[in-house]
Amino acid sequence: MTWTPRERVLAALNHEEPDRVPIDLGGTGASSIVIQAYERLKAHLGLVHETTVLSKINYLAMPDESVLQRFGVDTRPLMAPGRRGGSGRWLDELTYIDHFGVTYKSTTDTDDKHFLYKDGPLHGGKLTQDRVDAMDWPDPDDPGIFTGIKEQVARYKAAGDYCLVLNVPDQVIHRAYALRGMEDFLKDLYRNAETACYLMDRLADYNIRASENMIREAGAENVDVIFFGEDLGTQEGCMFDPDATYGRLIKPRHERIIQTLKSLTGGKSLFHCCGSAYQFIDHLIDIGVDALNPVQVTAKNMEPERLKGEFGDRMAFWGGINTQEVLPYQAADAVTAETERCINIFGKGGGYVLDAVHNIQFEVPPENVVAMYDAGLRHRYH
Amino acid sequence: MTMQHIYDAVMAYDEEEIPKLVQAELEAGTAPDKVLQEGMVAALDTIGERFSEGTLFVPEMLMAAETVKAGLEILRPILAEAGAKPHGTVVIGTVKGDLHDIGKNLVAMLLEGAGFRIVDLGTDVDRELFIDTAEKEGADIIAISGLLTTSMMEIDRAVHAITKANETRNLNIKVMVGGPPVNQDFASKIGANGYGEDAPGAVDRAREFTTH
Repeated sequence: MTWTPRERVLAALNHEEPDRVPIDLGGTGASSIVIQAYERLKAHLGLVHETTVLSKINYLAMPDESVLQRFGVDTRPLMAPGRRGGSGRWLDELTYIDHFGVTYKSTTDTDDKHFLYKDGPLHGGKLTQDRVDAMDWPDPDDPGIFTGIKEQVARYKAAGDYCLVLNVPDQVIHRAYALRGMEDFLKDLYRNAETACYLMDRLADYNIRASENMIREAGAENVDVIFFGEDLGTQEGCMFDPDATYGRLIKPRHERIIQTLKSLTGGKSLFHCCGSAYQFIDHLIDIGVDALNPVQVTAKNMEPERLKGEFGDRMAFWGGINTQEVLPYQAADAVTAETERCINIFGKGGGYVLDAVHNIQFEVPPENVVAMYDAGLRHRYH
Repeated sequence: MTMQHIYDAVMAYDEEEIPKLVQAELEAGTAPDKVLQEGMVAALDTIGERFSEGTLFVPEMLMAAETVKAGLEILRPILAEAGAKPHGTVVIGTVKGDLHDIGKNLVAMLLEGAGFRIVDLGTDVDRELFIDTAEKEGADIIAISGLLTTSMMEIDRAVHAITKANETRNLNIKVMVGGPPVNQDFASKIGANGYGEDAPGAVDRAREFTTH
C-alpha cells in the first residue's frame, strides 16, 4: 500500500509501523529552524525564496513548501499568522511587549539574538486573585488567533493528505513565569498555591477558548495532532516535585486542556517538555498524552533505550536528534549514524516521529540538517 | 535555643522566623561564625545534597537560599565587625548572548549562603567586563554560565580571555563554568579550572579553590 503523510504519522502514534519513519519539520512552534540556519540551508539546497518569519522573538523561520517537499516532511502546522492574537508592540529593536503586557528584552551585540521575558504585569509583591483579575487580559476571541486557518487547511488539503498539527496558542506555567517572574511563580506554587492555581485556571481557560476558535475554523475533523506543553524538566532533573507540585497543582490544568481539545477533535496529544521529562511521563500518559516532544536525549534519564524500554508501549516519541552535541558540533556522517540509531531504538514497532530536539539552532550546518532528514527518507520498515 | 532551630528554620524555608532566631542566638552569646556555619551553611548543604540527589527541586532551593539570605542580613554586619573575612570573592554572570539566569542566580545565592562575597554582573556579560571587574574587586573566581548551545562558543572564548589575562595582567583568577550544555569534558577541553554539574557542585568547586 502507499502511505499518505497523515497515515504515516498516525500509524506511528498508534504504535504501528508505516512504510518509513514519519518526518517533522515546522509542524510545531518547537520543531522549526532558526532564521540564520535556514538561510544557510536554503543556499546549500540551491532553493531561492523569501524567508517567512514564524517568530521574530524566537528568530524562527517558517520552512517553505519546497524545503518540506525536499525532506519528505509529513506534517503541516495549523497556526494563524497572528497566532498570538492581540497587539504586541516593539518599543525598539531589542524590546517587545506582548499582548499579555509582558516585556521581552534581547541580547545585545550578537548575530544570534535571543529574547527573554524580563518584566510582566504580575511581577513583584504578593500574588493575589484581585491582581490576576485586574490584569488586562487579552481576548481569546481575537480574530488574530484564528484568521487564515481555514485557508491554511484548504491549501494543505489541496496539496496532499498531510498530518495537520494544531498549535495551541499559549501556555500555562510558562505564561505564568512570564507574567509573574519565573522565580516568584515557582515560589508561589509552594507558598501561595491557591492563587497560583487560580492563575493557572484562568490561563487554561484562555488556551481552551482560543483553541476552540482555531478548531472551529479548521474543522474539527481536520485536526490530527494537538501540540501543547511546557518545560517540566531541567538538564539534571525536575524543575519541581513531579508528584507534589506537578501531580497535585499543575497536572489538573494540563489535563483539562488536553482532554477538552482531544474530545473536540479526536486528535492525538503531542506534549512538549524540554529537559528531563522522565519523572513526568507517567503523569503525562495519565492525562491522555500520546507523544512526547522534543525528547532531550542529553538530559538526565532521557537515553533512547531507557525511554523506549520503560514507556515505549504507551508513549510515542517525537524529536530526539541530539541538538546539544551532535547536530551543531559533529560531522554529517555522525549525524547520519545518530539519526539511524534513534530511528532503530525509538521507532521499533512504530511510536516515533523523526525531528531534531527542539528548533534547529543557529550554529547547525546545513549538511547536518540534510544528513538527519535523508537518513529518515532512506529508512524503510519492511 | 540551639543551632538546631536555625538549621530547622532553613529546612522549613522560614524566611520570617530566621532573623529573630539569629538575633536571639547572638544575644545568647553564640559566636556569629558558629551561627553561620553550624546553623545556616549546614542546612544549605543538606538542601544541596537533596537537590543533587533529586529529592528536592528548584523552588525549595530558591526558598532555602532566600531564608539564609534573610539570616545573613542580621549576621553580615556582625561578622564584618568581628573581622571575619569572606571565603573569597566570586564574579558571576551569564555569557554574552545568553539571558537565561535562573541557574546563575541559584549558584550566586548558594555561594553567598556559603560565605562568599558575590559580584553579580547579571546576564549577557561581555568577557572583558568579567575580567576587569574581577581585577578591580580582587576576585578569586569568575563563574560563567549559559543555557544555549551557542553559548558554549562564547564560554570557550571567555575562558581563553581569562587565562590570557592571568598571564598578561599577572592575575590569579580561577574560572568555573556551568549550564545545561556544559559538561566536564567540555570544561576540561577549554581549560576551565572547574565545572559544577549543578548549583551545589559549583559551591563545592568554589570551596576547593579557596581552601588554602
